[in-house]
Amino acid sequence: MTAPFFKYGFFGEDISLVVAFAIGIGFGFFLERAGFNSAKKLAAQFYFKDLTVFKVMFTAIVTAMLGVYYLSVFGVMDLGLVYLTPTFLLPEIIGGFILGIGFVVGGYCPGTACVGAATGRIDALVLFVGIFAGVFGFNEFYPLLKGLYLATPMGQLTLPQVTGLPYGFIVFAVVLMALGGFWGAEWVEKKMAARKVEASS
Amino acid sequence: MESRPAQPYWNPYLSGIGLGLVLLAAFVVMGRGLGASGAVASTITAGLNTVAPGHVAGNPAYAEYLKDGTSPLKDWLVFEVLGVFVGGYLSGMLAHRVTRTIEKGPNITNKRRLVYAFIGGVLMGVGAKFGRGCTSGQALSGGALLNAGSWAFMLMVFAGAYAFAYFMRRQWQ
Amino acid sequence: MTDMIRSLTLNARLALTAFVLGFVALFAGNPYKGAAATLNTKELAITMATNADQISVTTVADWIIQGRSDFRVVDLRPAAAFAEYHIPPAENIPVTELGGSNLGRNEKIILYSESGARDAQAWMLLRAKGYRGAYVLHGGLEAWKDSILFPRVPANATPAQLVDFARIKDVSKYFGGSPQAGAGDSTTTAVVMPKLAMPTPSATPAAGAPKKKKKEGC
Repeated sequence: MTAPFFKYGFFGEDISLVVAFAIGIGFGFFLERAGFNSAKKLAAQFYFKDLTVFKVMFTAIVTAMLGVYYLSVFGVMDLGLVYLTPTFLLPEIIGGFILGIGFVVGGYCPGTACVGAATGRIDALVLFVGIFAGVFGFNEFYPLLKGLYLATPMGQLTLPQVTGLPYGFIVFAVVLMALGGFWGAEWVEKKMAARKVEASS
Repeated sequence: MESRPAQPYWNPYLSGIGLGLVLLAAFVVMGRGLGASGAVASTITAGLNTVAPGHVAGNPAYAEYLKDGTSPLKDWLVFEVLGVFVGGYLSGMLAHRVTRTIEKGPNITNKRRLVYAFIGGVLMGVGAKFGRGCTSGQALSGGALLNAGSWAFMLMVFAGAYAFAYFMRRQWQ
Repeated sequence: MTDMIRSLTLNARLALTAFVLGFVALFAGNPYKGAAATLNTKELAITMATNADQISVTTVADWIIQGRSDFRVVDLRPAAAFAEYHIPPAENIPVTELGGSNLGRNEKIILYSESGARDAQAWMLLRAKGYRGAYVLHGGLEAWKDSILFPRVPANATPAQLVDFARIKDVSKYFGGSPQAGAGDSTTTAVVMPKLAMPTPSATPAAGAPKKKKKEGC
């Protein structure tokens, strides 16, 4: 058992920044490959025209989930050392909803805005500046927002802990859900495309 | 070279597997997931700390990013986001997709689109702070680790976007 | 069978792979369990020999003042002693309950007891269970009192030591301590333990809700 490498002290803080840069490059590369530099493509998700966002996101989640699961089961990786953001249910639900509204209003999420801006999208750059304003505003009003921000702390919590079901069962359920979703997404896209042809003829 | 047509995007499932493997690499090498919005908070703290250090020290929302006296810019997420810019540009350049443009539907002016983009950004900044992450850090990274809060967050992102899609339809269609 | 797989589209083949991997996961067991109880004695020995398991009281004091929240302080002493005085952000967890506590194996944990015997044992216990972020507060609470709450300056102090003392004085006052003038000084102020209602740093976690390092997230 030697992974995560950083937590086992294989390299220090400075090297970790180089790793960060390299991983960021990979992240940005595949986001662009998927077409996430285009707000039109991203927003089409919410009008059922192009469900690429859903497909890419859930393929990535399933890939990483299976990878983490099997590496841990085979004893290559210590899952207990991987950072889990503690759950604060209420602010996370509210934050997710606000971010979702921002997504359809602005057309990007923070990560895709970076990629959009890097490939010349001016709206992505403006949105990125908007994020700065939003975070700045939050921080300035932090004393007022603190109560809500720290509400309903539940510690590090995973779905297997919540449901009481075995980890492997949840993994399988997520895979099934994703595959079902992909099948549905392909069906919806075909339907919408057919309707468009009908309307234009 | 610039006149060459933009190549089509990849098969979404292949791009997804690529993203998933990058995320997995982050887990294996660093023991942590990806992120984007956290870098913004670090950058703001660094900026404010040079302009008004007293202001920063008095606000716990910033103090957290000051860590052990080193610059908040010397942060994992800041370097990762720099990489995202570089990676996105590389991929776009190789596929001839780097063009200066504004993404929008046909029924909206450029100015209006940019105003919406800014408002969207502000909402996203606030949402990412409350949600302790954005689509990258929470939905993607937390989702793969079966983090309960991340899944709640992810469902709400889709709920919020679909709920408001109707009001924004003129922007995109 | 292979012909059948070959006839599938790329997407269908990917879906099939995911399905099979997901299905096998049903029977493959718990990924968290595989990580428990692996004790690398050599690694432990090296950690001890290089003092990498120790953390000094001044470092911890600085962290608390800076409002850092990426570590947890654990007081191993009995509840009565804990109630009397403890380092501000500390939580009281008896050694017997360490295993079942809500401490995370991916957290930085600083252990202390009165003088540093009990905490070394607790450290060993946690390390054996795979808590890689466990540290011992060097010298325990005794060192905290001597160096932070009631620091003294040697009678024949060098200028460097005096500069050091000036700095530690502020730290001491922050924690409600009283710096002692000098070892040979007859007018030593009374050594009174600070009350618990002392100026605690603003970033201390709310009771019952351990605040963890959020920075590592998004």
